[in-house]
Amino acid sequence: MSDTFSLSRRRFIASTALGAAAAATGTIAMPAVLRAQGAPIKIGVLQPVTGPLSYSGTQGQLGAMLAIEEINAAGGIKSLGGAKFDAVVGDAQSTPAGGTAEVEKMNAAGVSCIVGGYASGICLATTQAAARYDLPYVVDVGVADNIVTRGLKNTFRFGPGFGVIANAALENLVTINNNAGKPAKTVMIVHEDSLFGAGLAKLLNEKLPTQGFQVLETISHPTPTRDFNTIVLKIKAQNPDLVIPANYYNEYVLLARTMQQQQVKPKGIYSVLGGAASSYKFVKEFPEAAKGIMDCNHWFNPLSDKAQALKKTVEAKGQFFTYEVYLNYACIGLVADALERAGSADRAKVTEALASSTWANHIMPYGPTKFVNGQNEGAAPCNTQVQGNDIKVILPAKFADAKPMFPVT
Amino acid sequence: MKSFVPVALVIVALAVLPLFVQSNVVLNFLVVTLMLALAGQGWNILGGYGGQYSFGHAIFFGTGAYVTAILQVKYGVNAWLAFGCGMVAGAVVGTVVGWLAFRAGLRGSYFALVTLAFAEVLRIVASVAPITGAGVGTLVNLDMRFSAMQFQSRAVFYWLILSLVAAALIITWLIERSRFGAWLIAVRENEDAARALGVNALTVKLGAMVISGVVTAAAGCFYVQYFLFVDSHIAYGTWISVEALLTPIIGGAGTIFGPLVGALVVRALGEGALLITGHAPGLDLVVFGMVLIAVVWFSPSGIIGLRKTLLGKFRRPAAEVRRG
Repeated sequence: MSDTFSLSRRRFIASTALGAAAAATGTIAMPAVLRAQGAPIKIGVLQPVTGPLSYSGTQGQLGAMLAIEEINAAGGIKSLGGAKFDAVVGDAQSTPAGGTAEVEKMNAAGVSCIVGGYASGICLATTQAAARYDLPYVVDVGVADNIVTRGLKNTFRFGPGFGVIANAALENLVTINNNAGKPAKTVMIVHEDSLFGAGLAKLLNEKLPTQGFQVLETISHPTPTRDFNTIVLKIKAQNPDLVIPANYYNEYVLLARTMQQQQVKPKGIYSVLGGAASSYKFVKEFPEAAKGIMDCNHWFNPLSDKAQALKKTVEAKGQFFTYEVYLNYACIGLVADALERAGSADRAKVTEALASSTWANHIMPYGPTKFVNGQNEGAAPCNTQVQGNDIKVILPAKFADAKPMFPVT
Repeated sequence: MKSFVPVALVIVALAVLPLFVQSNVVLNFLVVTLMLALAGQGWNILGGYGGQYSFGHAIFFGTGAYVTAILQVKYGVNAWLAFGCGMVAGAVVGTVVGWLAFRAGLRGSYFALVTLAFAEVLRIVASVAPITGAGVGTLVNLDMRFSAMQFQSRAVFYWLILSLVAAALIITWLIERSRFGAWLIAVRENEDAARALGVNALTVKLGAMVISGVVTAAAGCFYVQYFLFVDSHIAYGTWISVEALLTPIIGGAGTIFGPLVGALVVRALGEGALLITGHAPGLDLVVFGMVLIAVVWFSPSGIIGLRKTLLGKFRRPAAEVRRG
């Protein structure tokens, strides 16, 4: 007892002396000592919660905050004495300039890491703003390939980039068609005219003929487009086996609804990063138009109990379980794992721990993380299909909870 | 404004600011504010002094930004040279658009609409053209060297943008004092009367458009060097056209310091509203909008004109008493 007491007293004196020394050496040294005693770890949650991207930003923020609440409730970061996350929330205002200003504020607030950004344009600006301070940054969505090809040591992307998604989409389309006995031979592509849609259309036009598909027509349209009647009439006239749309949410919904109204029923609708095809909102609001649509997109692991529990939590809040939610939720988990292994909230150590991450206990169908130049090599999209008013994973087989229904008609 | 002293004093006061302010948050705020003030000063020369209200100053901002970025990324041109080329490109666009619009005799809302249309056309072209990187945009590589016009310290960026703002202030001051400035104001007040007195309205307006284009393009060039990324929405989006006209109108169109004051007030209001409302998304914008309405309501001639407005309010009753 006396031993315990004397040890405690020694510890007390030592810690007091350390504290005094830290106070004397200035404010920079203080957080390190306080963190050793389980002081909160500041983490930046950066999302475009106002402006044109506000819906996605709000969803992303929801996912991040749910993860932070969960980690804090489970006792925080154990290796840091149960240190809790203290979220420093920032609004990128849907612009790179807004995002950069928030990075400056977060750096001044002393965050250990930033998660988010959402849009590629914002991520490109915010990651390099954070790089000035060697501040680790985990990109949640931003699919532009150059986010991780610039050699920024502080930048990590947990999810897949555009190149990986486009290639997987092509491979999976061929697999689905081959497994069904090659019912689809002709294709029409309807795409929006920025690089997302136009780039994808170009890639498909190059690769599809080599896989035995004939591209009947490629139709581009601007965003926004508010009338798809002419485009759908063209589709009806050409009568392709497969329609491949590449556009954003509103246009996607309008195209699918117009096809339903004009009773255009191809053997399948197959999209890549389809604005609405992997959206529970679309399925709930327009179940008939959504029926049978396939998409290659970000998706959670449906076989994960944690993912299903999170889905229930999000839905109980009256929100849709969108990819922004679970990607941000997973990214916070990735940072928590890195902090746990780093045993320190020091930025350089967190960056090092992220770079060597082999985190497997997550809700995404990626397997253990492995970062090469900041990109998680295991990250891959899933192929989903709307079946029975629900969205099911049909590929990759390892994570599938349903078989592809193809041809639909 | 006859004397150069106020202009010099403001420039010196702003130049010494980083010696007292070390916070990067504040410096970043000031850099972006000065960048918007520069874009606004460009608009002010054409709109404030010349009375030609453009709704599409993004054409200059975007062209400056894209030329700076593309020359560096695709052609390996030195950043400083690319910056200069961006400004020249602003002058070229100003000449072309100005010549087309003014030759066609477009004035007032028609001129505003045609500039807006030009900006939209350029935005759509930039969103599909391979040279601009189409939808993905153009990314300038991070290379923090003086030769690449990238600096580790935010203070250096601050001094760079301040020197551009200072140059724009001096240009505006010179215009105000010059014969060209008098012609420009004459065209603004009554173009037909000015023409009747022998002012070549087309040349004067075209001259203002070119100077305006160079100044606003410089803001676009700076944007690229600071954020190192540009896409069609940033370059030619309506946001910058609105910012470029909002800052001088709030501050005081047709005055030397109008855009600078306007940019400071607008940005400070935005940040202040954010501090007051905390993290409630969008609430800061509501507060910001309400304060903005109040400012415009009570001082339609801008903040610079507030003194006159207030003096007028106090003096009017006395004048009325005398009349009665």
